[in-house]
Amino acid sequence: MIYMKQQNIRNFSIIAHIDHGKSTLADRLLEETGALEKRELKEQTLDSMDIERERGITIKLNAVELTYHYHDEDYILHLIDTPGHVDFSYEVSRSLAACEGALLVVDAAQGIEAQTLANLYLALEHDLTIIPVINKIDLPNADPEKVKQELIDAIGFSSDEFIFTSAKTGEGIPELLNAIIERIPAPKGEKEKPLQALIFDSFFDSYRGVIISCRMVEGTLQKGDKIRLMETGAVYDVVELGVMTPKEIKKDKLVAGEVGFIAASIKDISQVKVGDTITHDDFPASTPLPGYQPMKSMVFCGIYPIEANKFEDLREALEKLKLNDASLVFEPETSQALGFGFRCGFLGLLHMEIIEERVEREFGIDIIATSPSVIYEVELTDHSIVMIDSPSMLPDRQKIASIKEPYIKTNIFSPSEYIGPIMELCQNKRGTYISMEYLDKTRVNIHYEIPLSEIVYDFFDKLKSYTKGYASFDYELIGYKESNLVKMDILLNGEIVDALSVIVHKDFAYQRGKAVVEALKELIPRQMFEVPIQASIGSHVIARTDIKALRKNVLAKCYGGDITRKRKLLEKQKEGKKRMKQIGRVEVPQEAFLAVLKMED
Amino acid sequence: MKKKKSCYIHIPFCSNICSYCDFCKFYYQDTLIEPYLDALEGEITTRYQNDLLETLYIGGGTPSVLTPSQLEKLFKITQKLELSHQVEFTIECNIQDITKEKLLLFQKYGVNRLSIGVQSSNQEILHFLDREYTKEEIIPKLNLAKQYFSNINIDLIYAIPGETISMLKQDLSFFLDLNVPHISTYSLMIEEHTKLGIQNLEPISDQLDSMMYEAIHDMFTEKGYRHYEISNYGLPGYESRHNLTYWRNETYYGFGLGASGYIDSIRYTNTKNIKKYLSGIYIQEEEKITAAIDASNYAILGLRTLEGVSKAIFLEKFKVDFKEYFSIADLIEEDIIIETKDSYYLNPKYWYLSNEVLVKFL
Repeated sequence: MIYMKQQNIRNFSIIAHIDHGKSTLADRLLEETGALEKRELKEQTLDSMDIERERGITIKLNAVELTYHYHDEDYILHLIDTPGHVDFSYEVSRSLAACEGALLVVDAAQGIEAQTLANLYLALEHDLTIIPVINKIDLPNADPEKVKQELIDAIGFSSDEFIFTSAKTGEGIPELLNAIIERIPAPKGEKEKPLQALIFDSFFDSYRGVIISCRMVEGTLQKGDKIRLMETGAVYDVVELGVMTPKEIKKDKLVAGEVGFIAASIKDISQVKVGDTITHDDFPASTPLPGYQPMKSMVFCGIYPIEANKFEDLREALEKLKLNDASLVFEPETSQALGFGFRCGFLGLLHMEIIEERVEREFGIDIIATSPSVIYEVELTDHSIVMIDSPSMLPDRQKIASIKEPYIKTNIFSPSEYIGPIMELCQNKRGTYISMEYLDKTRVNIHYEIPLSEIVYDFFDKLKSYTKGYASFDYELIGYKESNLVKMDILLNGEIVDALSVIVHKDFAYQRGKAVVEALKELIPRQMFEVPIQASIGSHVIARTDIKALRKNVLAKCYGGDITRKRKLLEKQKEGKKRMKQIGRVEVPQEAFLAVLKMED
Repeated sequence: MKKKKSCYIHIPFCSNICSYCDFCKFYYQDTLIEPYLDALEGEITTRYQNDLLETLYIGGGTPSVLTPSQLEKLFKITQKLELSHQVEFTIECNIQDITKEKLLLFQKYGVNRLSIGVQSSNQEILHFLDREYTKEEIIPKLNLAKQYFSNINIDLIYAIPGETISMLKQDLSFFLDLNVPHISTYSLMIEEHTKLGIQNLEPISDQLDSMMYEAIHDMFTEKGYRHYEISNYGLPGYESRHNLTYWRNETYYGFGLGASGYIDSIRYTNTKNIKKYLSGIYIQEEEKITAAIDASNYAILGLRTLEGVSKAIFLEKFKVDFKEYFSIADLIEEDIIIETKDSYYLNPKYWYLSNEVLVKFL
């Protein structure tokens, strides 16, 4: 790799709503710059996790280095991918901190969406140069001029800043690359200064230990250098460094302005903190770079291994996931029903689902996740305040003076014909109407105040179905408000199952209790005896149903020729019971623990 | 070498194929019988280790479909087997095949137990099952059989689509009136590759099925039959000794097309391909029974019966008590498994749900 002048480096990321073509655009940039041959491109090359490709979303940021020839000079472009979902704004902020510019990609048919705007504001906070890109102009229903006007009105771009592209056909891609070079400033920073490199990501490689992704801010780092991680104080020798193109290319040094990776035989994953600064051990920088504000967890749930002996495996899995997802928090917790597990905190619901899925898929551990909870602020009768993130931590009712819950303010972007259904949904979710703005003649932004706990249930899904998928949604936390909340317990066969308890608004408790016991009745298979399911508040039963006893499960005949075959049938049945948890005498399938989420109004 | 006490011989020929049958069977073809019996003789000569047999069972198919001279040839082969003085020697027999001549032949060669496929006394059900006799034929044929044999089993099928409890109860009264010492019951299973399976027939509900099972239990035990295994009823002393060898997890030979056996820690199944069998290739599948599978088989077989799993036999073989081996203290506590001085057995209340319990013993 040739040595590159700092003024010929550009670091940028892409901001876009889900589906607006970010990953395809990134693929196209990779192809245009020759980083990958067309045949090497899988769809969504940067999205390396299976979950990302399957769901068509980006969860983890990724960084690649591209080279581009412009006006007789070679340029290096570092593209740092960003997630589009509101849950992952922390990740976005990390990518943006490593860049000087960002492409704001908007779908020419759909216009600007709630989450795009949120991420754009993050970019503006980081003082980045923004290039507005209107993508998918090849679509038959594309209206680039209308979307352009929407962006001008909403954000204040000037008319000549826009680049029009079709990531599908390749149209506009050279213009876009030129604009990146012309408009985004080269990184500053001096290669002679004491080393400061920002860790913006890391992952664990079983052969080489922790691999750090970093942005070189000041100084030069060479192979063999002794580095110090400023926050943890840990010291390592650099074994390998280089860049991702996205294939890994090893280099001898990284200099200020570049983005690359470092391997230093780091075995202890807890030593590497995203947001920490790397410096030289013998010639350290005087101060670390401003790190990131760690995001606060908004949603909590219990995660338990189905097989009790997998507890340590689960701990290890969570630790490994935390390595490149600092926003994941967890601590051990014990449930009477589920045994030993972890109370985990997430940025949002999608984040929670992704982590659960990754634990099961990447680490092969069958888990039970309990229904999600938010953090409640409980004032006791002695005027002290406790914060709780689990219904089981709620003190006795006699000791509680009041309970407050977190509220959010919504941005719901939608075509105006769905105003009615959206308002109905928000009312059902205990929302309070604030205001509504017209973005243009046909699109609105609706603001409600809604308890976060309602969003945690099925708000996303409902919003999607109420608006045929046309609405997009984003929220900001606005603080705590007092609510008439109670703890609702679920009893199986007469015994409280702590993992099924939820905190609910009293006016909605009866309805929810009924829905939960009905959902459980559907989810729990018949057992050898009748199983009553009850929902109760304190000692007061508010809903009840029964799972009738199983009537027949028998190998009616079994003679000499049948034994091996009958055994196989039993083994199959046993396999089916594997994903069940024994609660008292009742076998409960995994899904039942999320029954509180699966409710129809 | 451990003695094998039991032997099963399969005769895969039928004059007619029943709509529900998924056993190994062929339409009766006169020209196939001689070669088949020769191959059977070959198999027995090769594999039989001269053990003294306590039970011998000839099943099918329909062994009684053979002509008297073919039967004679079959019995000449079984004479090579050494039978104990107290042997239980059963042959399966169809209603229409019961003739004085065949009964005398059975007697002559030591058969002392008949298993007769009555199945139902309801003409519509017989028709549905493709059984080729009428209700009226059953009583005289049974009376004839009883002149020569006292130890007789009859088969009953229930849970036929469309069958009601009152239809079943009529059947049960008819069966009780036949006054035989043993009745095998069978809740109809609609199996793939049978006529019923191909017709995609819906089975009756589990609810009705279990009510039928209870009705059978109530009526038969009322008349003094012991419900000694999930699907079997016998007057005291008339339990099927042959079938008990299966449920006690004991060893047995299986000879003939598609037959299964359990010998020298191997469970094997013979080929179902008649060409292969005739050419002397007998075994198709073998499974080595490890100690763990063996222990588990004691449970899943023994817990089908009222006598249950013998403490002494299990302890001698595995050097640890059955209860400890499977950690079933809680099942005993909940009265699902009952412990006696000598055995453990499944509470009959749960027999129709036994799979729910047996999966804990795999």
